[in-house]
Amino acid sequence: MLKLFEHDKLDVNNLSPEQTAIEVKQLNLRFGEKRVLEDINMLIPKNQVTALIGQSGCGKSSLISCFNRMNDLLHGCEVSGQVIISGSDIYHRKQNVATLRTRVGMVFQKPNPFPMSIFENVSYGLKLQGVHERRKLDDAVEQALRETGLWKEVRDRLFESALTLSGGQQQRMVIARALALKPEILLLDEPTSALDPLATLHIEELLNQLKKQHTVIIVTHNMQQAARVSDYTAFIHEGKVIEYSDSDSLFTMPKRKQTESYITGRYG
Amino acid sequence: MANWKFNLDQKQSVATSFTAAVAGFLVLVLIALSFFIFIRGGGFFWPQNIQTIIYQQPDGNYQTQFVKLDAKTMRVGEEIMHYRYSSVQQLFSGQLTLKKSSIISIEEIPDVVVVELKNGGTVIAQFLSIMDASGNTLGLEKFDSVQGEINQLIASVELIRQGELADIHRALASLDQRGVKSDAPARVKLAKRFYELQDALKDVEGILTGYALTVAFADGSTYSINLQDIRELRTPNAMSLKDKLASSFAAFASFISDSPKLNNTSGGVFPALFGTIVMVLLMTLFVTPFGVLAAVYLHEYAPRNKMTALIRISVNNLAGVPSIVYGVFGLGFFVYVVGANIDKLLFSNELPAATFGAPGIFWASLTMAILTLPVVIVATEEGLRRVPQSLRDGSYALGATQAETIFKMILPIASPGIMTGVILAMARGAGEVAPLMLIGAVKFAPALPVDGEFPFFHLQRQFMHLGVLIYDGAFHSQNIGNGSSFIFACCMLLLLMVLSLNLIAIFIRNRLRKQYTQN
Repeated sequence: MLKLFEHDKLDVNNLSPEQTAIEVKQLNLRFGEKRVLEDINMLIPKNQVTALIGQSGCGKSSLISCFNRMNDLLHGCEVSGQVIISGSDIYHRKQNVATLRTRVGMVFQKPNPFPMSIFENVSYGLKLQGVHERRKLDDAVEQALRETGLWKEVRDRLFESALTLSGGQQQRMVIARALALKPEILLLDEPTSALDPLATLHIEELLNQLKKQHTVIIVTHNMQQAARVSDYTAFIHEGKVIEYSDSDSLFTMPKRKQTESYITGRYG
Repeated sequence: MANWKFNLDQKQSVATSFTAAVAGFLVLVLIALSFFIFIRGGGFFWPQNIQTIIYQQPDGNYQTQFVKLDAKTMRVGEEIMHYRYSSVQQLFSGQLTLKKSSIISIEEIPDVVVVELKNGGTVIAQFLSIMDASGNTLGLEKFDSVQGEINQLIASVELIRQGELADIHRALASLDQRGVKSDAPARVKLAKRFYELQDALKDVEGILTGYALTVAFADGSTYSINLQDIRELRTPNAMSLKDKLASSFAAFASFISDSPKLNNTSGGVFPALFGTIVMVLLMTLFVTPFGVLAAVYLHEYAPRNKMTALIRISVNNLAGVPSIVYGVFGLGFFVYVVGANIDKLLFSNELPAATFGAPGIFWASLTMAILTLPVVIVATEEGLRRVPQSLRDGSYALGATQAETIFKMILPIASPGIMTGVILAMARGAGEVAPLMLIGAVKFAPALPVDGEFPFFHLQRQFMHLGVLIYDGAFHSQNIGNGSSFIFACCMLLLLMVLSLNLIAIFIRNRLRKQYTQN
């Protein structure tokens, strides 16, 4: 039994290029004087859910925001090293950041619906891409909302304000908003920490569906969640990747002492 | 009692009642202000009863007069009555100031009429008779039907003047231009028709002058008024409350739709109201995009350094610059420098007559736009500051550039804040007088800044402004009576105008706010 299971798991340190969604090479990130990430080297597998766990302030959110360059918006943030997505370095000076972000979607900790109708929210990204044909927008909105299981709940009120949705629905709508652009990669930064258990369950179920189409990277400080939803997990501590492997082995037989202390709750 | 102190609850209630008292005082002041303005301003439209007074003159003789009470004042312990009356010598402006003790009797007789003339004058007298064109003597009750006839006649005169007569004039002028001889048959035919029409007009005008209203003053002398000169005739003493209310509203309607008369002390204020509204709207048109774009740069794009801080401080200080300084700047820079150069470049064929090189509504609105710019910038920045970072992040994460995020997401959400700034700017612009007097607002403007004549917007024209009208009236009317009522009526209108502009803007703001916030 156990052997069979292990058979699907890839060795994250030795992925073929076809299996890799993101290749992180010698990534360093500093905020002024403070080094937030140090020499990160990772291969993130395609069409899998990868979780980043670690204490608050360990740099896991900074790492995830390097993948679509959201950290560019932060004042005094310097990045060196390479993040290679689909064969090209996203930190190359010719990289168009806006285009990158349409390929690498991101969902934040707190649901941030725009104060517009649900339809306008979900079609926001597409409209920015110059899609204005009503039929295309309709189709894309419906598909994105179906993917997140929200369609049945909101199809009669697409033109009502998104602010009327419940917290969990808002977060799923925000995910749908990102999915409407059909991104290769979806980054989720503690997507359930502001939600109630039922809404959390919805989102977790959703992640399993999403990995068929997208590579999912999730930051969480809830280890049960990481164990439940992810295929691979990286434990990050003080800006370094301490241990990175498939979730089953990381949570059942961690190789490093620090990892073991963290997942058994001795610190963090 | 020596150790008596406030306990915590008492301290609390002292603080509450003290602050409540201050707030209450404020409310009182507000109520008093609007009450005062509305009572005095509304009084201008109210058809006040006409009294018949008998009083003793200083020489001991008794005199009777039909009077309208303008005001009461106290002087050395005695009440002084200020009256207005008409006599043959002083048709419109008789003023009477009497000690109350010298008045022997006051009564109100029903057939006293107040006749408002088309030139703005008012005659107060007793009704005697109306004479129609065929010499019949009619009673007061026939006035409306007689005036109906007169209005028809006047309309027919106008029709001939504007219609056929004008056509003949044009035809004759074109004949002149082509050098047609003076005895050419076409010209003779036109001339014949011209004289026929002239005669017809003379006949109608003759009929018109036949209509007359005869009234008597209190001293027994009679006076005859041509009926076509009368704008309105009222019998206030015989009017019911309902009639008086209706008459007040009618008077208000003509107040806001007529032109001023008798040196801006009577008649309507339409040109001033119109000028104020056009100026404020033009100003809003200039200030909103400028202010919003400047605020967007300052808040969204500008680096957070000392230079930006300095600019921000300067903008805030601009709001405190005395408005007359802006007026002088507008005159010195816009009119004498920019305007004069525009004239040189574009209107050189009309020099030395200035087109844009003279004060006018365009420069006035532009100056007011600069004056109100800080208000809009500060309010817009405040609105931008309130847009949460999470929404910006959300937009960026969907592949929006900074410009897209600002114009598609942030500005719409900040729009209620922007509207607040625009409301404040409009109210400020509508009420400002000092700078306007230097750069285009005048006591009397012969033409409106917007009319039916091509190119419809005459932005180089001078204009009338309610505030300037009030200022002018307050400075130049020597009497405390009717003139000041006119001023109060203008004040009331200015207040109403600012209020309604604000209400519209607040309505829009609330709709935007509802759209962009929770619930």
